[in-house]
Amino acid sequence: MTMTSFTGTRPMPTLLRAALVAACAALPLAAQATRVATGGTTLIKNATVLTVTKGTLENTDLLIQNGKIAQIGKNLASPAGATVIDATGKYIMPGIIDPHSHMMSDAVNEGSLSVTSMVRITDVLNPTAPNIYRALASGVTSLNILHGSANTIGGQNATVKLKYGRPVAEMLFPGAPPGIKFALGENVTRKNQQQVQLPGQPAASRRYPATRMGQEEVLRDAFTRARDYKAAWDDYRAKAKTDKNAVAPRRDLELEPLVEVLEGKRLVHAHSYRSDEMLMLLNLAREFGFKVQTLQHALEGYKIASEIAAAGTGLSTFADNWSYKIEAYDAIPYNVAIVMEKGVLATINSDSDERVRRLNIDAAKLIKYGGLTEEQALRTITYNGALQLGVADKVGSIEVGKDADIAIWNAHPLSVYANVDKTFIDGEVFFDRQKDLAQRSEKEKERADLERQDPNQPPGARGRPVQPAVPEENR
Amino acid sequence: MTPTFRLAVRAVMAAALAAPPLVAQRAAPTTYAITNAKIVPVAGPTIEKGTVVVRDGLVTAVGATVAVPGDARVVDGAGLTVYPGLIDAYGSLGQASATPAAGGGRAGGGGAAQAQLAAAAALLNRPAGSAEKPAGFSPELKVVDQLHPDAEALAGPQFAGITAALSAPTTGVMQGQSVFINLAGGDAQAMVIKGSVAQHVGFTPSRGGYPNSLMGVFAALRQTLLDAQHYRDEQAAYARNPRGMRRPEFDAGLEALQPVLARQQPVVMLANQQREIERALDLGKEFGLKVVIAGGSEAWKVADRLKAENVPVLLSLNFPRRVAAPAPDADPEPVRVLRERVEVPKGAGRLASAGVRFAFESGGLAAWTDFLPNVRMAVENGLSADEAVRALTVRGAEIFGLADRLGTIEPGKIANLTLVRGDLLDRNARVTQLFIDGAPVTVRPPTVANAAGGGNAGGGNFGGGAQAGASGTWTVTVLVEGEEKPVTFLLRQEGTRLTGTMQGVLGTNEIANGSATPDGQVQFTAGITLKSGTEEATFAGTVEGNAMRGKVGIVGHEPGLFAGTRPAGGGQGGRPRPPGQ
Repeated sequence: MTMTSFTGTRPMPTLLRAALVAACAALPLAAQATRVATGGTTLIKNATVLTVTKGTLENTDLLIQNGKIAQIGKNLASPAGATVIDATGKYIMPGIIDPHSHMMSDAVNEGSLSVTSMVRITDVLNPTAPNIYRALASGVTSLNILHGSANTIGGQNATVKLKYGRPVAEMLFPGAPPGIKFALGENVTRKNQQQVQLPGQPAASRRYPATRMGQEEVLRDAFTRARDYKAAWDDYRAKAKTDKNAVAPRRDLELEPLVEVLEGKRLVHAHSYRSDEMLMLLNLAREFGFKVQTLQHALEGYKIASEIAAAGTGLSTFADNWSYKIEAYDAIPYNVAIVMEKGVLATINSDSDERVRRLNIDAAKLIKYGGLTEEQALRTITYNGALQLGVADKVGSIEVGKDADIAIWNAHPLSVYANVDKTFIDGEVFFDRQKDLAQRSEKEKERADLERQDPNQPPGARGRPVQPAVPEENR
Repeated sequence: MTPTFRLAVRAVMAAALAAPPLVAQRAAPTTYAITNAKIVPVAGPTIEKGTVVVRDGLVTAVGATVAVPGDARVVDGAGLTVYPGLIDAYGSLGQASATPAAGGGRAGGGGAAQAQLAAAAALLNRPAGSAEKPAGFSPELKVVDQLHPDAEALAGPQFAGITAALSAPTTGVMQGQSVFINLAGGDAQAMVIKGSVAQHVGFTPSRGGYPNSLMGVFAALRQTLLDAQHYRDEQAAYARNPRGMRRPEFDAGLEALQPVLARQQPVVMLANQQREIERALDLGKEFGLKVVIAGGSEAWKVADRLKAENVPVLLSLNFPRRVAAPAPDADPEPVRVLRERVEVPKGAGRLASAGVRFAFESGGLAAWTDFLPNVRMAVENGLSADEAVRALTVRGAEIFGLADRLGTIEPGKIANLTLVRGDLLDRNARVTQLFIDGAPVTVRPPTVANAAGGGNAGGGNFGGGAQAGASGTWTVTVLVEGEEKPVTFLLRQEGTRLTGTMQGVLGTNEIANGSATPDGQVQFTAGITLKSGTEEATFAGTVEGNAMRGKVGIVGHEPGLFAGTRPAGGGQGGRPRPPGQ
């Protein structure tokens, strides 16, 4: 039995299934271990290619050159020096894009103030977080890493490619438009009193706002200040043309990103649940002249599908996850299907380091609930996310000229039996199942070797002193 | 006390009575000659047998054939090696606040109550941070104003051969300015070699108020530096033409940052892991700062960039190691942690090979008696003996622009000397005597009370044997969403910083934003995965002995509880249930 003979219709042998479970459980021991340089040119032969935008292509070859998809077609010639992969019986799909994640962040919430637009996820990314590798093993290539939902206006997002082990600078998605997190509802009003009283903090430190009314006021106030700030700079720039002594206004890192929102240069991703709060935000955005790029979670989106569509706003939600708090009860699994029918660009997100490993299954649920086509379902975790993040010209579908951010699956990715063989980003292999399995014993050996070394011995073992070396007579 | 030295002391006393006062306010200067000693001047080749002459606090002659002046008190150096006085390139020696109660922050019976009082006091003194006035930002603070020499606290570093040190602020984000001091004790003013040496930046967020996360720390640092630039431009505009312009408001903090912006004052940034160092370097680049990295346990991974950007490192000698045998029900330690313990002692050798300048610093060591043994460990792990001695002497002086007066044995330099029986890097070597500012200092083996190292709060014991503060492998039960979740914390406390890993059914993640107080209050965040998704959980609790308990805050969830234990001295800890069950 070989890997290549798998299809989605055949049950997986127990042994292999056990190995795959282990793959998810084991920590990748070295970031570089499973990264395979492809030498720039790779020819994947005889696969079923799920382009997501241009249909499904059977028995098709895909050529990667210089990190891009160079050719798609039948019986492509293999350029000199190309790595050739036989993908007979396998599937190629675009790398999965998760539009809502908090992975690889050394901080998620700066919840101290109602408006923290000055903080940036890019300042706190951890490019070695093991969860990155696990996501790669599930065919995920890009994330929208968002600030948490503790406050009305949160921090600036980071759109990343999961180039595990590379420096942060190489993981930031080149050319991705910047974004910012907003949050409405319970997490902001903190009805659940989730704030722990910390040592040195007074017991009754409830941060404004405590109601949804207050959230609207925080937004209105912040954007009014941003308008004033922009006006002050416009005045200065006009004045500086004639007056050499004009002193520039103080730069304000809180208001600068909000000016970018007003100018349409920064995308708003708004955590929201209830239809009334979503309508409030859409109306306020219209009043101030900006667009809300996405409503995140938006479990009641189906109630106001037409209004969301009219605003040109996208929706990013869970396939079937709800009832974990009061505002998350009025939910139905048909949310995506309904809003899509009304013309809303919809995606499935994970918001979870665990669910991100099976977004393909969440997409498959949309076929059961709402009758989406396979391609529509796949788009909710690929192309639609690329559109929502402003990177659809580079990723999200398999088209010539796009970045080679793809995954080879051993079965149709909407099958529960499907697993990822290889994940490519910019044409380089960042996950390779065969290599991972082959390296297991090496890594066990490394652990054993390390355990034996002196700094890993507990005090008392092998003559290591239990107490600092203070001479007897001075104790 | 050796007979020679007793003679010398008697001579000093005689000289003090006889000699005319040369400089008022200073201890009576006098002349010494250390003869027949092996001399490692660092400025030149080792002298197998020679003499060092010290007069009026300065080295006046060094060499194989130097004549002993007639008025010199002779110290017979046979069997001794004379080194330039060792330097601890980063710590908090000489500060009163840094050495809380003897024992370096032991949590006694009334620990919790004292902590409450301290917290209340802190609240009164320091308003919670806001966007306008972020918490932990006090660049105008100067350690030189807070020197409080305590002979007892200096005994530990003196026993380790240390004669001079950079004494830096210990808390906050933009922490204030350090002082370079001689460790003679006595008069605080006389200790000072240079008053405002560097600005110090730590990335640990404050507890409560803005910023309370690492993200906020960076945003507030960026805004403060932008404000300092704006302040500079406004002041310049006003200076050019004050007439008709409302005068810019004075701001002590922004004023204090002007030498930093002008690259006249270096900025020491506390950063250990690769990504922490890269973030620090990025911030430095953004504002054109003269960056020095302190800590630097993974600096070797960034060696090429440090070399290219000419950034020196104050390399911590506080090497990580397993502090106790883990409990049987603890998750296995991540390989990353196992590997780090083995790799960190190799860092010095790697930095030297890459051509990165570095000086050793004590880094909140649990005990001063580990200082020299850990230098030896660095040598066993690939650092040349020559470079090791340099990193203990001249490098620290060079990095802070003091090499013209300190760090080598050369005529005209400050007479700081460390006398060692045998070779400094030999396991059996013993520091026998110091000269600081040309005056002999007797070293004493440390007692338990002053062995606790680093001067950084929290370096001492918590009544848990050799475990420093919250360090150790904790088996923990977290009560969240009405369910008990078994997890393992692997924590490491260095000074007031807390780092580590959380493993178990809530997911595997490094902890972040961690801090710990000397009285055992810990706080950190960690990503945890619940049914609804991955959330950032804030753990805030108290360590008492080998038990830890506290609360868990999660945005959008009911608060949770946690309780854990660690094995005492290699024993077995059981997984406790959180309170309120």
